[in-house]
Amino acid sequence: MNELRRLDLPAAPPATRPPRGMNALLPARLAWRQLRAERARLFTAIAGVMFACVLVFMQLGFRAALFDSATALPQAMHGELFLVNPMTTAMFKPEQFPRVRAFQTLADPDVAQAVPIYLSFATWRNPETGVRRTIELIGFDTATGAVAFPGLENVIEALKRPDTIAFDRKSRPEFGDVPRLLAERGPFEVQIADRRLEIVGLIEIGPSFGADGNAVMSETNFRRIIGQRKSSNTDLVALRLSEGADIPAVQARLRRLLPADVSVVTYTELVAWERDYWENATPIGFIFMFGSLMGLVVGMVIVYQILFSDIASHIPEYATLKAMGYAHAYLRRAVMSAALLLAVLGFIPGLLTSIGLYEVVASATFLPLEMDLNRGATVFCMIFAMCAAAGLLAVRKLRDANPADMF
Amino acid sequence: MASANVPVAIEGLAYAYGEGELRRPVLRDINLSIHAGEIVLLTGPSGSGKTTLLTLIGALRAMQEGQCTVLGQQLLGATEDQRVLLRRRIGYIFQQHNLLGFLTARQNVAMSLELDPGSTEAERLARAGAMLEAVGLADRADAPPSQLSGGQRQRVAVARALAGTPGLILADEPTAALDRVSGQEVVHLLRDLARSRGVPILLVTHDPRILDIADRIIEMEDGRITSGQPVD
Ligand SMILES: Nc1ncnc2c1ncn2[C@@H]1O[C@H](COP(=O)(O)OP(=O)(O)OP(=O)(O)O)[C@@H](O)[C@H]1O
Ligand SMILES: [Mg+2]
Repeated sequence: MNELRRLDLPAAPPATRPPRGMNALLPARLAWRQLRAERARLFTAIAGVMFACVLVFMQLGFRAALFDSATALPQAMHGELFLVNPMTTAMFKPEQFPRVRAFQTLADPDVAQAVPIYLSFATWRNPETGVRRTIELIGFDTATGAVAFPGLENVIEALKRPDTIAFDRKSRPEFGDVPRLLAERGPFEVQIADRRLEIVGLIEIGPSFGADGNAVMSETNFRRIIGQRKSSNTDLVALRLSEGADIPAVQARLRRLLPADVSVVTYTELVAWERDYWENATPIGFIFMFGSLMGLVVGMVIVYQILFSDIASHIPEYATLKAMGYAHAYLRRAVMSAALLLAVLGFIPGLLTSIGLYEVVASATFLPLEMDLNRGATVFCMIFAMCAAAGLLAVRKLRDANPADMF
Repeated sequence: MASANVPVAIEGLAYAYGEGELRRPVLRDINLSIHAGEIVLLTGPSGSGKTTLLTLIGALRAMQEGQCTVLGQQLLGATEDQRVLLRRRIGYIFQQHNLLGFLTARQNVAMSLELDPGSTEAERLARAGAMLEAVGLADRADAPPSQLSGGQRQRVAVARALAGTPGLILADEPTAALDRVSGQEVVHLLRDLARSRGVPILLVTHDPRILDIADRIIEMEDGRITSGQPVD
C-alpha cells in the first residue's frame, strides 16, 4: 500500500483543453491490439486489401505493357527529330507527305541525315498453313541506322538484295513459326501481297494494337510490293543531327523552314503522340482505370465492413473509454490507425503476389510486365487512400458510443 | 458552497429528458454535497433518477439547470473539452465491467493511465500491476477478461477506476451482476481502497446487503432527494 502511495501522481491541474499528441502512437497500438485479437477478421481485411492491391497492380501493369508495346515502333526509332504529317493519329494509319520535305531539312547545317520511312499494310500468307493475315511493312534505307530494331545489324547486307525482307520474330503465332522454319531451311520464300519474297533474317519489334506482325525491308523492295503508292510520298522522316546540336533550336528552325504539311517533333514527342492516341482516342485507358477503380471500391467496402463491425462489437467498451476521459478524437485516431495498418499489412503481400503474377503473365503473353518503384508507390498511395476512406466512413459509427448511456 | 475541498456541491439541479411536448422532468431541485473521503450510497425505486444524477455529476451528460461543481469544475455551461478533462479525474465503475476483451487485466488498468502525458509505459504497467495486487489479482494480471470470473472482472474494474488517482469515484450498481459473496468482496475492497486514499464515493445500489459501507445513505423518489441521513 505504501508502494502505491509513493507512485501516486499529483492531481491533474485544471487545464482548459485536453493536451494534444500525448503519445501519437498509443491509439495505433490500441488499434493493433484490437485487430490482432480477432484473427479471422484481420485476415479477411488483409485479404481484401491484398485483393484490391493485386487487381490495381495487374490493371496498371497491363495498361503500361500494352501502351509500351503499342509504342514499340516509334520507340525503336533512332533520331533526334522526326517529320510527321500533322493529321497522322497513329503509326498504323499514317498520313503521307511529300518525301521532298526530308531533303529540304538538309538545308539546315545541323541536320546530318534525313531518312524517309515508309509504312504500309499488306497480306501475308502463312508459310505453313497458307492462311492470309495482314502484316505491317516498314521500309527504309536499312544501312542508315535510323531505326534500331534488335537483330537488324545482321541482315543489313542481305536486305540490299531485291525481294528480301526481315521478319519480326515477335509477330503473333498466326503468322507461322518463321524462326523455326528459318532455322530448318535457311532463308526461304514467302508470299506478301502478290509477290514472292525471301526471308533473310529476323528482327524484333513486337505486336501492337495496330499491327499483329511486322516485316522490314529496303526502300526499293517496299516500293516493289506496294506498287500503287505515289513514290514521291513518305510516311515518316527520321532526322539525325550533327554531334552536339541544340535539338530545340533545330526544331524551331525547321518549323520555320518547312511548310505546314509536316510537324517537326522530338523523339519524346513522337512516342507520346503514339501513346496519346491509344490512351485517349480509344477506350483502352478508360477500361483499365475502371478496372482499378472497381478493385479499390471492393477493397474499401471490405475494410469498411471490418472496421465497422470492430467498432459495433465494442460500443460499450468505447463508451467506457470516453467516460474515463478519452476524447472522441482519440478513438477516431485509433480507428484511422487500424485502417492504415490494414493498408500496410495488405499492401506487402499484395506487392509480392503481384511481382509473382507479373512474371507469370510476362512469360505467358510476351507483354513486358515489370514492377517498378514508381508504380509501387502509386499503388501504395491508392491503397492508403482506399483504407483512409473506409476508415472515415467507419468512424461515424463511433458516435453510438455514448458514455451517458453507460450507467 | 462550491469549493475545491467539497468534491461535489449541487444546488437546485433539475433535469428533463425530451423536448417540447415530450419533455419529461426526471430530476427536480436536487441539493447535495459530498465531502472529502465520504462514502455516500444512493438508493431509491427504479426510475427515480439515480442514474441520471450520476451521469450529470460524472460529466457524461450536459447540465440543464442549477449549480453543480465537481472537483472544482462548474458543470453548468461547461464545454465538451472541460467535461472530457474532468472525466479523467473521476473513477467510474459500471454495472458491467466493460473491460476491453483484447487487452489483459494489466493493460486494461493501464488504459486509465495512458491519458497522463507525463507517464512512461514502464511506470504505467508497474502502477497497473500494483493496483491489481491491491485488489488481490496480482497472479491474474496477464489474463484476458474472458479468463476471469465475474467478481474478478469487477475487481479489475475497481483497480482501473482507482489507478488514475481520481478525486471521486462514481459507481452505478457495481454488484448487480455479481453473487452475494463476490458483491460484498468488491464493495469492501472499493471502500478500503477509497478510504486509504481519502477518495469520496457516490454509489448507486438496490442491494441492501452492502448498505453497511456507507457514511451516508441518500434516498431518491420521483426525481427528488427524500432523505439523506448519516449512518453512524
Ligand atoms: N436516455 C433517456 N431518454 C429518455 N428518458 C430516459 C432516458 N434515460 C432514463 N430516462 C427516464 O428517466 C427516468 C429516470 O431514469 P434513471 O435511469 O435515472 O432511473 P434509475 O433511478 O437509475 O432507475 P433504475 O434503478 O431502474 O436504474 C426514468 O423514468 C427513465 O425512463
Ligand atoms: Mg439506474
